[in-house]
Amino acid sequence: MAKKVLLVDDSTTTLMMEEMILKQNTNYECFTAKDGVDAITCAVEHSPDLVLMDVVMPRLNGFEACKHMRAHSELSRIPIILVTTRGEEDYVATGFQSGCNDYITKPINSRELVTLLHSYLGE
Amino acid sequence: MAVVMKGFMELMHELIEKLAAQQDPGISESLTARAKIYAARIRLQHVVDQADGLDAIREIAANLIGCEQLAVYKVDHSAAALWLYWSFGIDPNQYAVLDAVKNPNLKEVLTGSIVFAAGDRSRNLLAVEDHVSAIVPIIVSDAVVAVIVLFRLLPQKTAFDVADRELCRVLSGSAGRAITPPATKLTKGNSSARE
Repeated sequence: MAKKVLLVDDSTTTLMMEEMILKQNTNYECFTAKDGVDAITCAVEHSPDLVLMDVVMPRLNGFEACKHMRAHSELSRIPIILVTTRGEEDYVATGFQSGCNDYITKPINSRELVTLLHSYLGE
Repeated sequence: MAVVMKGFMELMHELIEKLAAQQDPGISESLTARAKIYAARIRLQHVVDQADGLDAIREIAANLIGCEQLAVYKVDHSAAALWLYWSFGIDPNQYAVLDAVKNPNLKEVLTGSIVFAAGDRSRNLLAVEDHVSAIVPIIVSDAVVAVIVLFRLLPQKTAFDVADRELCRVLSGSAGRAITPPATKLTKGNSSARE
């Protein structure tokens, strides 16, 4: 059975690019959500094996959505990778404090993304 | 807007399925470039109005190229000046107008060429305080109607790569809907004149 990945970003351009990269390089099944609130709803509905989530989003940002997921009994163990524009120490620390497992910086490189996801989900 | 976006996402999924079916191990090296260029083209082709067009430019610059400081200028050919139309991540008061007469790079851009800083961060393309990484003309019906100025790239991004340069060409040929009013919307033919 294909592993399920939930892609979360308010930018349709980014969602499109991420989905294209994963479809061409992996057998993962992709779902998309456009902000943190949608992400939680979608995660409860589809039980993804991993969440790849942007930080800056309307309604509920990536850090907050991450905290909500960690506090949710059904979502607390799902690996969460945050997509950030900044890789500075403080910013990354905030991400880990919110409960994320890893992070990747923009602009996304396909090889880096696929390698990172393989490390959590296998090929 | 929500209905339009839902339709767009459905179309996006269909296109991605088609592209995924064309899988070829030989193209894995350029996959990042392909994914970015397809995403940018599809996004720009489905722009619904001027505001959405500007948002598409911002998304492409920030998420695909790695530049979160940008400005769009409308070209006033009679005054040889560029007037600030929209900006993101910069102080608009500092960059309200650019003088095309005094700047050779702007003169070149107004002929339809994209100018890059060529990886040399000490070389600034405009005589302004902030570093300018690239200047991209927006071409509509073979005329330069506006100019996108891409300022400083994200710290982790050292220079423009092949994909970034192609993305700039896509913006140049297909971002006209962010500038032109609905009454003069481009046809598919002239919006991709440079591609």
